[in-house]
Amino acid sequence: MSESHLQRIAITGAGIVSPLGIGWKANEASFEADRRAFKPVPVELFEVDGFVAKTAGMVDLPDEPVLKKKPAYADRGTQMLMLAVREALAQSGRMNLDGIDAMIIGTSAGAMSLGETYFENAVSDPKRQPRQLSLAEHYQPQRQINDLAAEFGWRGPIIVISNACASGANAIGWGVEMIRSGRAKRVLAGGYDALARLVFAGFDSLKALAPSGIPRPFDAARDGLALGEGAAVMILEAEDVRQSAALGEVTGYATATDLHHLTQPDPEGKAAIRTMTQATRQSGLTPADIDYINSHGTGTPFNDVAEAQAIATWAGEAVPRIAVSSTKSAMGHLLGGAGAVEAVICLMALQGQWMPASLNVREVDPAVQFDLVRSFRRARVEHALTNSFGFGGTNATLVLKRRSA
Amino acid sequence: MNAAGLHINGVGAVSPAGWSAPDLLRVVRAGEALPAANCTRPKAERPWECQVRTVPPAPPEKQVRHPRFRRVSAISRYAAAACLEALKDAGFDTPPPRLGILFVMMNGCVNYTGRFYQEVLDNPAQASPLIFPETVFNAPASHIAALLGADGAVSTIIGNANAVMEALDMAAVWLRGGVCDHCLVVGAEECDWLSAEALSYYHASYVASEGAGALLVSLGGNGPRLQSITGPLSYHSWRERGEALPQLVTHASILIDDRGGIAKHDAAEAAAWSGMAFQAVHSPKTLLGESMGASASLHLVLATLECREQQAAVAVSLPGSNSAAYACVVGC
Repeated sequence: MSESHLQRIAITGAGIVSPLGIGWKANEASFEADRRAFKPVPVELFEVDGFVAKTAGMVDLPDEPVLKKKPAYADRGTQMLMLAVREALAQSGRMNLDGIDAMIIGTSAGAMSLGETYFENAVSDPKRQPRQLSLAEHYQPQRQINDLAAEFGWRGPIIVISNACASGANAIGWGVEMIRSGRAKRVLAGGYDALARLVFAGFDSLKALAPSGIPRPFDAARDGLALGEGAAVMILEAEDVRQSAALGEVTGYATATDLHHLTQPDPEGKAAIRTMTQATRQSGLTPADIDYINSHGTGTPFNDVAEAQAIATWAGEAVPRIAVSSTKSAMGHLLGGAGAVEAVICLMALQGQWMPASLNVREVDPAVQFDLVRSFRRARVEHALTNSFGFGGTNATLVLKRRSA
Repeated sequence: MNAAGLHINGVGAVSPAGWSAPDLLRVVRAGEALPAANCTRPKAERPWECQVRTVPPAPPEKQVRHPRFRRVSAISRYAAAACLEALKDAGFDTPPPRLGILFVMMNGCVNYTGRFYQEVLDNPAQASPLIFPETVFNAPASHIAALLGADGAVSTIIGNANAVMEALDMAAVWLRGGVCDHCLVVGAEECDWLSAEALSYYHASYVASEGAGALLVSLGGNGPRLQSITGPLSYHSWRERGEALPQLVTHASILIDDRGGIAKHDAAEAAAWSGMAFQAVHSPKTLLGESMGASASLHLVLATLECREQQAAVAVSLPGSNSAAYACVVGC
């Protein structure tokens, strides 16, 4: 398909749930205040004794059940996803999912906490236990999302993408491709993940978590990431559908695979260079046209230097003029939700004409050649790019455009 | 759906029947259920029956020799062998450039996940950093991409086994959009005691299984084509599922259905197709067991082989279990 003939994709609604707050306004206010959201993981969520890190970015869910029909087995992640879906629908002027042709959702862990409970029950007692069937059933993310769809009486394709930390970005990209292929006119796409003990333990075992609990993306002495949780979705529509109601556009999407290592990025960021190049080219842009990049920026030693070098190679002479930040510095790494949440943050930046900060930086890493945004900044933002890289070598880049006047 | 018209130019399979697609076809045509074994439990004895049919040990020529495969879990080995067979079946002795990969699974790397979580419960400070990355859903896709040098579009889908139809749909989008020239679509699963027990909660007679089915699809070629795709027919309950299944029914010479041998679970699917006459009906799950995320891909591998050998259209019934139903025809 010729890139010049690629269909423009309008964003007509978005919802965001992050450790910084539930909803667009709460998140925007937190970014304006350069707020951080890290706090000790409560024992009610899971036990952190024995782990190096003790804190994470957590979402304060409402007390009342978010899913009404089957609240007992709605895991935290699905509840966050539901809140984001409701906000996106409201923003799009919809009461429900009618007219949505497909739901494409990214997650890296799904309802992991239910799987953990299933496991703990199974190892503690070999007898048949009545609750195990429901746990096994609802551990499956497609079942969780189908329950969410049932709240609206909606029926349609549900596609669950699990490409680790790029899942949410890939889901949005998949939605874009589904519309461009003509299969759908309008899709709901995004991602989510909730904190889970197994995942926390995994990152802790890899020594990927910052011992202090404070991630410092692009700091010369950064020592790891902080985990977070959250969800975000976008309603994407074909350009001929309600273009006037668009909040912005997705103009470019590319994905590529880094074959270097299962968990470590290619030091030169070769796949990232390819996705940034393809996504900007697909948008009809050059790197110099990109005003703001929401980086993957985890705060781990390997990721940030690889991404900084990839941005420098991709941008060339334009690199000093491109503003970059990592919002993981404020809310943590939302894993399967990260790509979607960060895409919505880009949309918010385009709408509000501001840039969120990379917090916690004491001394900028020498690999950084771009304009690192270190505190909330009012600025002109016409085009924003967001990178998502995941275990397994998945790289994804989305380019968003401000709503045309 | 976009997948209609895709050519299936190569297939590969790993199943309890053996490490090749012809092994699978041979067992299904013979119509004799493979022996099942009691699934052992690492902690305490189970006071109820839980049966499994596992993949036999790999013959030497099917063992993957690549640094990434030193400590991968069984699902990656099954999928790799199936993918390599599919490529060879399509005439590629070496992987073609611009190869896309779409991986479908339900449970994923359950053996390492269970092992890692047990380590976390025992002593979180000593949980192995070598195991955790292998628990991630897209680890198998990553290993296969590394094995085949596929550095373009690679994605993993979680869902019912019939999510392979959505993977084929995306493969068609990638192929038509020029993202790749060929695409491997592979559904795979590995068995462990936890997933076997989980299945037995649905019905005591279920036999958990494992394996991988791989399809090399392209826009052109001489392989059979995907036709008459029905679905997704979404449902929120078992009752709605039963009401939807009659819409799957389509004409063909051979039917490969999804029945597992549990009468009450099979009833709606059997009723839906009962009015149709076929030269042959295969119900692979009754012979092989329930391989969850791999089963629909294995059905499609069988359909492709039957279509090639019988020069006949083969309908594949994929009703799913908890979200949507699909069907398609693999035709010449």
